[in-house]
Amino acid sequence: MFKNYLKVALRNLWKNRLFSGIGILGLSIAFGVATLLTMDSLHELSYDNFHTNGDRIYQVHITWQTPKGTEVGTSQPTPFAEALAFEVPGVEKITRFLEEEALTIYNEKELGLDAIYVDPDFFEMFSFPILQGTKKNTLVDVSSVVLTKSSATKLFGSESPVGKTVTVLINGKNEPFVVRAVAPDQPENSSIEFDIALPFEKNPEYEETKEHWYAQYHEVYLQLEEQVYAKTFEENSRSFTNLHYEGAVENLKRDGALPNQNGDFLQLGLLPITNKRFVRYNKGYVEISRAKVYVVLGVALLILFIACVNFVNMSIAKSAQRLREIGMRKTLGAEKRQLFFQFWGESLIVFIISLGIGVLLSLFLEDNFQTLFKTGATFDILLTPILIFTTLLLVLLISLIVGGYPALLLSRLTTIQSLKGKLGSSGKNHLRDGLIILQFGIAILLISGTFILNGQIEYMRNKDLGYDKEQVVSFPLNGKKNSYDTVKLLREELKDNQDILAITAADNNLGRGKDGSLSSSVWGFDYKGKSVRTNTLVVDYDYVKTLGLDFKEGRSFDFERENDAYTVIINESMAKELEEHEPLTVQLPAGDSLGYAVIGVVKDYIFQDISKAIEPLTIFLNRESGLTYAYVRVAPSNMADSFLAIQNAYKKIEPNAEFLGSFLDENVDRTFRREKTMAALVTSGSIIAILLSCVGLFAMSMLITNQRIKEIGIRKVIGASVASVTYLLTKDFLKLVLVAFVIATPISWWLANEWLKEYANRVDLSWHFFAVSGVLALLIAVLTISTKTIKSALANPVKSLRTE
Amino acid sequence: MLLQLKNIFKWVNSGGQRIFLLKDVNLEVSEGEFISIMGPSGSGKSTLLNVIGMLDGFDEGEYHFLDESVHSLKEKHRSNLYKEYIGFVFQSYHLLDDLTVKENLEMPLLYKKYGSSERKAKVADMLDRFNIVGKKDLFPAQLSGGQQQLVGIARALISNPKLILADEPTGNLNSKQGEEIMELFKKLNDEGVTIIQVTHSEKNAAYGSRIINLLDGRMV
Repeated sequence: MFKNYLKVALRNLWKNRLFSGIGILGLSIAFGVATLLTMDSLHELSYDNFHTNGDRIYQVHITWQTPKGTEVGTSQPTPFAEALAFEVPGVEKITRFLEEEALTIYNEKELGLDAIYVDPDFFEMFSFPILQGTKKNTLVDVSSVVLTKSSATKLFGSESPVGKTVTVLINGKNEPFVVRAVAPDQPENSSIEFDIALPFEKNPEYEETKEHWYAQYHEVYLQLEEQVYAKTFEENSRSFTNLHYEGAVENLKRDGALPNQNGDFLQLGLLPITNKRFVRYNKGYVEISRAKVYVVLGVALLILFIACVNFVNMSIAKSAQRLREIGMRKTLGAEKRQLFFQFWGESLIVFIISLGIGVLLSLFLEDNFQTLFKTGATFDILLTPILIFTTLLLVLLISLIVGGYPALLLSRLTTIQSLKGKLGSSGKNHLRDGLIILQFGIAILLISGTFILNGQIEYMRNKDLGYDKEQVVSFPLNGKKNSYDTVKLLREELKDNQDILAITAADNNLGRGKDGSLSSSVWGFDYKGKSVRTNTLVVDYDYVKTLGLDFKEGRSFDFERENDAYTVIINESMAKELEEHEPLTVQLPAGDSLGYAVIGVVKDYIFQDISKAIEPLTIFLNRESGLTYAYVRVAPSNMADSFLAIQNAYKKIEPNAEFLGSFLDENVDRTFRREKTMAALVTSGSIIAILLSCVGLFAMSMLITNQRIKEIGIRKVIGASVASVTYLLTKDFLKLVLVAFVIATPISWWLANEWLKEYANRVDLSWHFFAVSGVLALLIAVLTISTKTIKSALANPVKSLRTE
Repeated sequence: MLLQLKNIFKWVNSGGQRIFLLKDVNLEVSEGEFISIMGPSGSGKSTLLNVIGMLDGFDEGEYHFLDESVHSLKEKHRSNLYKEYIGFVFQSYHLLDDLTVKENLEMPLLYKKYGSSERKAKVADMLDRFNIVGKKDLFPAQLSGGQQQLVGIARALISNPKLILADEPTGNLNSKQGEEIMELFKKLNDEGVTIIQVTHSEKNAAYGSRIINLLDGRMV
């Protein structure tokens, strides 16, 4: 019996080659895409889950009640960690954590490494097991370092690194360190990344800040004792914060901040390490959002759903052709159950074939997928017994629903009905129509999502940032020399080049450079009895000129005036923050008595992430603080040559350092990498979705037209024109697409609106986006069905009538 | 006696009116009979045949088949009953297009859960008896109409039914093929198989031992 079923199933598939092919193709693509997307989602969800004590490790954050609302930060002052472990019960291990770029030198080799400054507990808490060297308390001795395997290989080649001395450039000074241990490279799914781990006491800020509670610049991780709940710990920390931040609390009270429901102005919080990947501190709250993962999974599900809908619709429509077979089988003695299993079995075969092809497809596309979506996800993550078992179970279940429904429908028919070869009297099929509507609704949703996402990216890319991003190159000053000397040498080196217009430097980059780092520094002080917070930037001369900023009033820093080292330039938002009508008269208070005179106000420019609103900014010309990025303005002609000239000049000055220059517009593009990944994902998702929907629609139009072939014949004999018959056949489908549009548009509008709320600079959600996606869907639908409908409208009616 | 129909009524409701398909039909069939049902289009011939074959129900009356009361049987028992005792032959053959001649013959045996060797023996026997051994691996579409009907009859006979129901078995055939099929029925009847056929042709009806005339659902 089974053999017979299999034989009939395979012959049937072969007989309906076109439909089987379409069905299998659609399902294979869907399975393939779903596999890849699931892989990506699981990878995302697996972030930081490899730490043995992961359920007890937390990152400490602190919530401030300020006059402007709540603010959350993860930065802590130097004495914080030690005091916390000592005063609040429940801390088993604790480490401070500061990440910085550090130039590491061994013999002739110089490498810019991703360095972390941590306490000895770091390697006890996190599961980065030491491979070679001292296993316990590795960083207790402040002259020791831990290297990762790959950085050790880069520095030492085949030599054994343990016991060797390397030099690290800290604060412009060469500090010797002994390599005590080698740790493995971090797994792909670790949000803590480093090449070299140094003792926390060696970090550049340490000496100046070791007793100050106001200088907050590093993160803190802790591991709670067993049986201690994060909530309890947070409760217990209240007296701790009130004690140590007394002064800050006084200021907040004075400025009119409102306390939280406990009556406190400060509150510590613990973030589980497994949530670190998904946390955002945007609006003063700790927000844990796995939205991206769910979008990815959602797209996978939608695509799978569309393919399944195709399959259901096609098998119902196709089954009309098999009614006689069913009737005959019944007269030969087949029971309902047997028929049901036969038809379900046939779908199962299709599903298994498709799953196989889909998995192969995803294996084949794995590399492209990784590059396109910038994910480190690999296929291995899917190869767990539980997952494989679930997948098979799921396929069985889906095939039972998808294949079972038509099977049930068919096996239920009475013998006479099926022998006559006609399905129920009315041509209406609400389920089919509903499914097509749903399918196109999803497609329209994804298409409009694509337009809006890309619209937002285009908007951000074309937005006037307030500075000239096309003509300015920036690069990190990652060499051994003092940064001011480097800039001076650069100016001399390039002064004869006609295409180099201006050179400057600052301690921060604009956008995200090739080195990938983003940073911000904030300065708070009291001004006329009110707390003021401002971002700070230290620059070299010509900063305003190089970037093409516009002055609202005042002037720039001047080479000729020595006192300019004690002056600042502020932006418009800062002027507003100060509440001064004549900002040029302002003296900002500094640590010493002198104060900084404001000499100029520049128009607001977007110096941070483009999704953020513009914050107050104060620009210093502080000759004592180091600069980290150089900026070079080039002439609009010969830009490629100019770029090369800059590179050569820098190579000459710092022969061992890597030149990581890029134009600022590239840097800005890099800051919305997240959006671009998302756009790439939704775009490809919607292309696949619309493709699959069209495949389904094509098949449906073919089958339905075939069913109506007699009606078409009669209409033509009576005198209907080709156009009217085509219209008649197309109309029904178009109605469905229109209904889908009406349903999908508000949903898509709502989703887009929610998403755009995160952006301070956002594109207008105009009706164009939705109209265009609706028209596009309609157009594609018409094109898809018209080939078949026109053909059958043109056919000779005598032929179609003879089929009876 | 093989079967007995008592006061059988069958109707459909259409536009508030009751239209009778069968009206007070009484029929007794003994084993070994060869009955021809005749009548104009729409007189209810096929309906009567379907009722006898238990493919279709009726609204009033009694139907006894062997010792069973069909009208009070459940669907499952009913299908077991016809599976066991009745073979069907159709005007348009209704062979399964995706199966070869051999597989078509095997089909009823599969549903009756015969063992593999028994199936093979019976199929080989039937192929032999109808002289179609050479066609056993062909698909229905590769056969002529007469040959297809031959396979249809062979399939109906393969599980040794007591009764063969044939709905215009020669309707799609030319006269020579039709004659051959009727000769075959005659021969089968001589071998003891009870046959009820629906036909339009006086000539074909003459092969039977008894003729029943229907008009508007009523026996005349």
